[in-house]
Amino acid sequence: MIVGMKDALKLIGISVIACCAVFVCTLFLNYNIDIAAMKNEITAAGGVAMYNAVVSTGKVVAAVSGGCLAVTSVIMLLFYVKNYIDTHGKELGILKALGYSDFNIAKHFWVFGLSVFVGCALGYAAAFLYLPGFYELQNADRLFPEIKVQFHPALAFILIVVPAISFAALAVIYACFRLKTPVLDLLKEKREYKAKVSKNKTNDMPFLKELTRSTVRGRKSLVFFIMFSAFCFSAMVQMSISMKDLSSETMAVMIMTIGLILAFMTLFLSLSSVVKGNAKTIAMMRVFGYKHSDCSGAVLGGYRPFSYIGFAIGTIYQYALLKIMVTVVFADVENIPEYSFDFKACMITLILFILTYEIAMYVCSRRIRKLPLKSVMLT
Amino acid sequence: MIAVSDITKSYGAGGNRNQVLKGISLQIADGDLTVILGASGSGKSTFLNVISGLERPDSGSVLYGTSDITKLSDGELTQFRRDNIGFIFQQYYLLPNMTVEKNVRMGADLADNREYAEIITAVGLEDRSSKYPSELSGGEQQRVSVARALAKKPKVLFLDEPTGALDEQTGRQVLDYICKLHKEYAFTIVMVTHNQNIAEMANTVVKINSGKISEVLQTKSKRPLMR
Repeated sequence: MIVGMKDALKLIGISVIACCAVFVCTLFLNYNIDIAAMKNEITAAGGVAMYNAVVSTGKVVAAVSGGCLAVTSVIMLLFYVKNYIDTHGKELGILKALGYSDFNIAKHFWVFGLSVFVGCALGYAAAFLYLPGFYELQNADRLFPEIKVQFHPALAFILIVVPAISFAALAVIYACFRLKTPVLDLLKEKREYKAKVSKNKTNDMPFLKELTRSTVRGRKSLVFFIMFSAFCFSAMVQMSISMKDLSSETMAVMIMTIGLILAFMTLFLSLSSVVKGNAKTIAMMRVFGYKHSDCSGAVLGGYRPFSYIGFAIGTIYQYALLKIMVTVVFADVENIPEYSFDFKACMITLILFILTYEIAMYVCSRRIRKLPLKSVMLT
Repeated sequence: MIAVSDITKSYGAGGNRNQVLKGISLQIADGDLTVILGASGSGKSTFLNVISGLERPDSGSVLYGTSDITKLSDGELTQFRRDNIGFIFQQYYLLPNMTVEKNVRMGADLADNREYAEIITAVGLEDRSSKYPSELSGGEQQRVSVARALAKKPKVLFLDEPTGALDEQTGRQVLDYICKLHKEYAFTIVMVTHNQNIAEMANTVVKINSGKISEVLQTKSKRPLMR
């Protein structure tokens, strides 16, 4: 087998994202389905307005969180497939040279769908276990009659089986597309690099600065992941602090936990990938006598500005989402407090983010220091 | 002067322990062109890695003047390589996402060498400086590697099978460039190879067999080098 279960296990990032996405979607969609069945029984004052607001919230949260996380999972999957083909070019090239068709090789990439299946199944199971508590939380004001948790096979199928099949198919199709590379290029692990900046501009640029630029330019998907990581951290932490007057503490903790898991997982995987992908460059720089700090700075430093952009987008996103929730979705509901931008939450989150990011950078920098020169160069 | 004294080096542990270097001693004079000859597995590349500071020996000393590099910390060793050593490898190890010019600047910036373009010209690649390594032939890539190593103005240049991946004619061409630059800049060269023909260009030929020096031949100098 070309791609094995071991390789699928490396896609833990996708499993975690799928798990979070399905967890959130299951909570809100299962609740929406169950509450819809009781719509006619809602008689309490303000109950209908609350019902409409809750249903809309569920749809918005499921669509925004689920959609955003699904897109991220897709990008991560494509990144993994590309990375696998790039790093196993020789083996795949030999198979092609022996006469295996692109599809014959690509079909083995279906195992990547397993990681999505595992993530989705875990997310669904976790959500189902938490659903009674979530229902209680959603109906704390007793505006609705008591709602019992029902199992909806169709929802389980849509949230577990459909994503797994879709991701498996996507992995195969994308692998097939990437394998269209000529055999010799695969064997030589040849990649195309195009000069995007005019010659005059790059001529005077010092090597380390150019290396930083080309490292970032060479792996744009990692820029996305690092921005996404900062986005998750910023949006989810600020949202959980800001929404203390708007929702329960449990909900805030849940949002913060999901945000932090996503942020750490994505940041860790992205930075590991940066270090691994540049191991030979780092080894060569050290052979030539570049200091450890030069190597770390050149390879990791280029991503810092993007992480702050991700943080800024996350800040705007959470503000806009909460504002829309309060002013549009809950417009008809009484006693909803006024929401304005929480500057204090923003500052606390920014300081936490800077600390976390720099610690992650330090850990990666330690890994760079420990890269064994000889073994890197022999591989 | 590089003075290597009683170097040993082993890999593995217990029953699988394999002693690759078995007490090698050698002196290399400044400006000399020394070729280390040996069959595959004789320990010549390990010897090169040890005397260039890429690997630490199990015992023995490697003196550059009065400084024993086996006693240096990792940071000091990096600084030592930065100030003194240049490398050319069989597999080139060029940075694939950098143009020829930027690959050469990798070495040049370490020595604050602003005249690196002259070296690109000296290896005959002035019209290829904006190309990426994948757009070059094997011989051209090795010439970039030569330019990169020399752009940092090393005092000692180590070459590990520099023509091993090239055909004879291209290999000869690369060696001609190295010889030309050696005469011009007068740095010390230590070259590892299994190709007997390359030994013709050396002042000193050191033959290694099973982790020991079996013979030291001098073609232009009569000083005894082996101790």
